[in-house]
Amino acid sequence: MDNFSSLMHGFSVALTFHHVALMMAGVLLGILVGVLPGLGAPNGVSLLLPLTFSMDPVSAIILLTSLYWGALFGGSTTSILFNIPGEPSSVATTFDGHPMAKQGRATEALSFAFLSAGIGALAGVLLITALSGWVAKFALRFSSPEFFAVYFITFASFIGLGGSSAFKSIVAMGVGFTLASIGMDSVSGNIRLTYDFDVLLGGVSFLIAVIGLFGIGELLLTMEDGLKFNGIAAKVQVRDVLLTAAKLPRYWFALLRSSVIGIWMGITPGGPTAASFMSYAMAKRSSRNPEKFGKGEPEGVISPETADHAAGSAAMLPMLALGIPGSATAAVMMGGLMIWGLNPGPMLFTERPDFVWGLIASMYLGNVVAVVVVLATVPLFASILRIPFSIIGPLIVVICFIGAYTVAGKPFDIYLALAFGLVGYAFKKLDYPIAPMILAMVIGDKAEDAFRQSMIFSQGSLSIFWSNPLVTSLMAIGLLLLLLHPIQLVWRNARRLTAAGAARG
Amino acid sequence: MVTRFWAETAVALFTLAYGLVIVRGATEFGIGWDSSGPEPGAFPFYTGLLVALASLGTLVVTWSKRVSGRDTLSAIILDREGLHRVIAFFLPILGFVLLCATLGMYVATIVYLLFAMRVQGGFGWLASLATAFGSALAFYILLERIFLIQLMKGPLEALLGL
Repeated sequence: MDNFSSLMHGFSVALTFHHVALMMAGVLLGILVGVLPGLGAPNGVSLLLPLTFSMDPVSAIILLTSLYWGALFGGSTTSILFNIPGEPSSVATTFDGHPMAKQGRATEALSFAFLSAGIGALAGVLLITALSGWVAKFALRFSSPEFFAVYFITFASFIGLGGSSAFKSIVAMGVGFTLASIGMDSVSGNIRLTYDFDVLLGGVSFLIAVIGLFGIGELLLTMEDGLKFNGIAAKVQVRDVLLTAAKLPRYWFALLRSSVIGIWMGITPGGPTAASFMSYAMAKRSSRNPEKFGKGEPEGVISPETADHAAGSAAMLPMLALGIPGSATAAVMMGGLMIWGLNPGPMLFTERPDFVWGLIASMYLGNVVAVVVVLATVPLFASILRIPFSIIGPLIVVICFIGAYTVAGKPFDIYLALAFGLVGYAFKKLDYPIAPMILAMVIGDKAEDAFRQSMIFSQGSLSIFWSNPLVTSLMAIGLLLLLLHPIQLVWRNARRLTAAGAARG
Repeated sequence: MVTRFWAETAVALFTLAYGLVIVRGATEFGIGWDSSGPEPGAFPFYTGLLVALASLGTLVVTWSKRVSGRDTLSAIILDREGLHRVIAFFLPILGFVLLCATLGMYVATIVYLLFAMRVQGGFGWLASLATAFGSALAFYILLERIFLIQLMKGPLEALLGL
């Protein structure tokens, strides 16, 4: 009941006129960002972050998380109406959402998407409410070696569970870590790796990296494909929404299964994109009529959407309780918390309960606000996409570079953003994962500090990472994840060998 | 135009070089152990080394696939038309960035948007001018007036006394 009273206190923080207005503004901006190609949730948060430096942290985080929900919703709108995923995590929604829209069931598809997304998000937030306090209390027992082990798990799971080649994940991650170590070393106070360039003294900001990698890189990729929008007009009537809502309980099992998948992928750093694909595949595999999938099956919209949003909100749990973001967007927000002078992690729950519980309460409210706002504004945002890309594209370019400059007011940053844009384009083209790179840039310093402090405790012996049951089991989980691919390979070969042996014998 | 094989090789060589530059830079700060713990260069040294080794890994995988004659790598991932579109989009961006640094961000925004819309997009003068000046004005009001954030300015703003 402890959590419940804290949550009620949180609602009293979040339920003010000022904060609800911020939620609406955030959601609207988020939908815009989600609808426009080249601007996504991580990018939107990065661009808005410099404008929040003067706000108080509670208002700022409410604005940014609302933008995140809005972006997730906006991404699904374009998936369904235009067959163009506005966000990577809404790719799976195009499979059945767009066919539904083409059959004249656009409103039904949109309503299914938004409502199930709302349910998925709610599942994620419920989990956060129930578990975050407990996880944070558990994590209070952590000291440096345990924290390093948790960071290790995070990056091991990118390598073990990620779709890309392990080498490419390691490169992306390593580049992130090394970029984070440029500039001031927080332990010794030395200036490192600046190669005598004064502009590198302040380090390389992860915000510039996000703007370049996700913004400029994505735009270059979009341009190469020669983007054309062929949208389907949709007007959302309240009656149709209610009719669709009445059909939703029929899909309770899909909702439940997708929520569980989403929550799991959100807590582990699989992220929303992986969650939505996995959920779609599971729905198709377990369906009684899988041949309907891809031709406008509602379950093919509900499953990825629920998982996408469940993962998106569940990703906030490890960020708040452990200081480890579960997605690229959560990583950017966590970077924001650190800039505002908050220290994400278990101590945050005792030091700033009003912030934590205000945020959690705002997640409930923000998602409700988001569902209502997104349903009301579908025609508006669909019409934005009818503006030719030769206007939208250059405008987004300008926004990205101005955003890059506002991060720190350094002219050098706009060159850096351009360079990151080229890197992002090449990396995306060749399937290098970008999320681990951002994560490494944000938590690089903390991971390094944890490692160095552990080494100081142990006088330089790595044995500290298996010195007690807690850190040993964490490291074991990490190693298992890291070696998942080789283990699977050996397991499969062993099975084949025994099967062959049995056949012969 | 560009096959996957060469693209993979080029990017892996780039990250390899990057990793080695970091390793080289890290050695200047000591990678061993001093009285207070690991020296400042140690962590970057090993992460840089990891980048270099993983890049080598990608190179080995790419080249061994080539030698064993697997088809997937000879696929073209960037054709002539795509390359043209990327360059046509990228060069104005480069120009925009250079203009930002010399003439300030507002002038750069107006010139860049005018160029992209009038010359590349084929829109009329009126629409192009309205969008370009409208956007610059919107940024000015939002950033300088509401959020009190100064953007880079050039000689023209100084002349106008802004």
